[in-house]
Amino acid sequence: MAAIETAFGLVFQFQVLAVILGAAMFGMFVGAMPGLTATMATALLVPVTFFMDPVPALGAIVTATAMAIFAGDIPAAMLRMPGTPASAAYADESYEMTKKGQLDLCMGVNLVFSVMGGIFGVIVLIVLAPALAELAINFSSFEYFWLACLGLTCAVFIGSGDVVKGLLSLFLGLAIGTVGIDPAAGQPRFTFDNVDLLAGINFIPTLIGMFAVSELLRGAVSLDQGSAMVQQQVGRLLRGVGGVWRKYWKNFFRGSILGSLIGALPGAGSDIAAWVSYALSKKLSKEPEKFGTGHIEGIVDATSANNAALGGAWIPALVFGIPGDSITAIVIGVLYMKGMNPGPSVFLQTPQLIYAVFIIFILANLIMFPLGWAAIKSAKQILRVPRNILLPVILIFCMVGSFAMTNSLYGIVLMAVMGVFGWFLEEHGVPVAPLILGLVLGEMLEQNFMTSMIKSDGSFLVFFERPIAGVLGVCTVVIWGLMLWRMLPFGKRTQIVPEGEVTPP
Amino acid sequence: MRFNDTIVGAAFVLLAAAMIALTFSFPSFPGQNYGPSLFPRILGAGIILCSLVLIIRDRREVKAPWLKLAAWTRDPRKVLSFALMIAAMLFYIFASETLGFIPCAFAIQIVLFLWFGVKPVTAVIVAVAMTLLVNWFFGSMMLVPLPRGILDSLL
Repeated sequence: MAAIETAFGLVFQFQVLAVILGAAMFGMFVGAMPGLTATMATALLVPVTFFMDPVPALGAIVTATAMAIFAGDIPAAMLRMPGTPASAAYADESYEMTKKGQLDLCMGVNLVFSVMGGIFGVIVLIVLAPALAELAINFSSFEYFWLACLGLTCAVFIGSGDVVKGLLSLFLGLAIGTVGIDPAAGQPRFTFDNVDLLAGINFIPTLIGMFAVSELLRGAVSLDQGSAMVQQQVGRLLRGVGGVWRKYWKNFFRGSILGSLIGALPGAGSDIAAWVSYALSKKLSKEPEKFGTGHIEGIVDATSANNAALGGAWIPALVFGIPGDSITAIVIGVLYMKGMNPGPSVFLQTPQLIYAVFIIFILANLIMFPLGWAAIKSAKQILRVPRNILLPVILIFCMVGSFAMTNSLYGIVLMAVMGVFGWFLEEHGVPVAPLILGLVLGEMLEQNFMTSMIKSDGSFLVFFERPIAGVLGVCTVVIWGLMLWRMLPFGKRTQIVPEGEVTPP
Repeated sequence: MRFNDTIVGAAFVLLAAAMIALTFSFPSFPGQNYGPSLFPRILGAGIILCSLVLIIRDRREVKAPWLKLAAWTRDPRKVLSFALMIAAMLFYIFASETLGFIPCAFAIQIVLFLWFGVKPVTAVIVAVAMTLLVNWFFGSMMLVPLPRGILDSLL
């Protein structure tokens, strides 16, 4: 109980609340701008949070992402351009509603169900995370090794349309992670006698490069692509939302539960949660023929799901240090930087920080309502900020942010190289999210692998001897077998992901 | 811009092979068959496996053209936009130590704004405002040692 009191004390300070409010407005703006994603918002925030205490730093990230995921719905309905990939699943549906003159209802439903879905996800997080942590406290390097393997495998399995390219991306990320001093023997690897590389590939500039710079490169050649706003004035938002709730409350719970679970699966985040729950909603609906013509039902499912996924994604991140999606991959990097190594022991040693995260999560979802309201009302102005001004400004932010991580040009060089590399990968249908997960988890994976190898004196069988490790290990190996079967060219014909697309429709 | 999977796969095979070759210079510990080189070798093998599958799949099923240029590469303006973004980063990397953050950030923004078609007055106002804002926020608030360069004596 004392920890909860301390947590309240940590959160309810003027400075922390101001940071949360600032991050909320930042997240709203980035989310509402088509082409700027929630992941990008987080990547740009990290250099700023680097200099803060853990609580405001985590608060900023939690709040900004929650806002961005909601705000992505606004341009989806008004411009048919999803503000973030998480809104892509129902952008067409929202736009059809707008064309029918139901923009008010669409926005109202998006706002209310985003808030409620978000809170649902937080409740799942609050209930499940401590329980899982209690279980995880007995884990040894064997269990962690298998968990990391399982997490990374899920990332490949679910995260991309093309398993081979997802796996390739994952291996590349793990390989990039081996640069620097090896965690077991202290041997420098792939450093080419460069002092900067000795410290390893710094995670934040890589992230800014892969998620922001590559986006800017794509944006620079598509500046002229815009679409017209159908309806700009938003009227009374809440009219009719109560009716939608009475008719579709089951859809809300279905979407939220599905969203939290998908979020908790390593590697699958809000965007996948929205796609899956939209598809499920259509499948189980009594009137599936209405989907795609501006029907609110699927939107209820999907908009609840993508916000619920945010809370869910923090479960594996906090308990095992395994990211649930690319945003929590960043969060784990931040946690390590703050000396708050994620894992079950955090729940014992610094429970007040965990409770503080929970409180901020709830707070963020509550202020989403008034701020989201304001954002919808001023959407006309927000969406008018021209992208030709934004791109150069964001580029400056990226460079200063990367510089701040290393206090040297190395950060910017790394950012530029990774930006071009990330752009190249995505052009060829190779998703970058598994790479980032691999980079974050690489050291932990290798450390647990080497520790286990030393403990078992080089025998792989010992990896399966402990009961939980055995179950996890067998699961992982079975999934690997399935993957290998699907991957090989003589198996089922694989579907090739079209150019420029990384998530399955 | 999209090379076909054969080229991409071949490039990664070479990269992974180079990585594995480098691991042979790492010391090994007597009596142990696992050392600092083990993990990179496993990863290298994984990259090669994936790349080979890409190559085989491309040769047997897809047979995509060697290089498929995206639509924007046929528009010289857009190619230049792309090049300018990269040039802006290179310019900052090479010039910021001597010129300092403020002149570099201002120059990059002005050039990019004007190239992207922002009105000159707006471009100057935004470039000045954003440069000073970033300098104040990161330089003074966050205490990031942004390079001072030629303005060192003035600031």
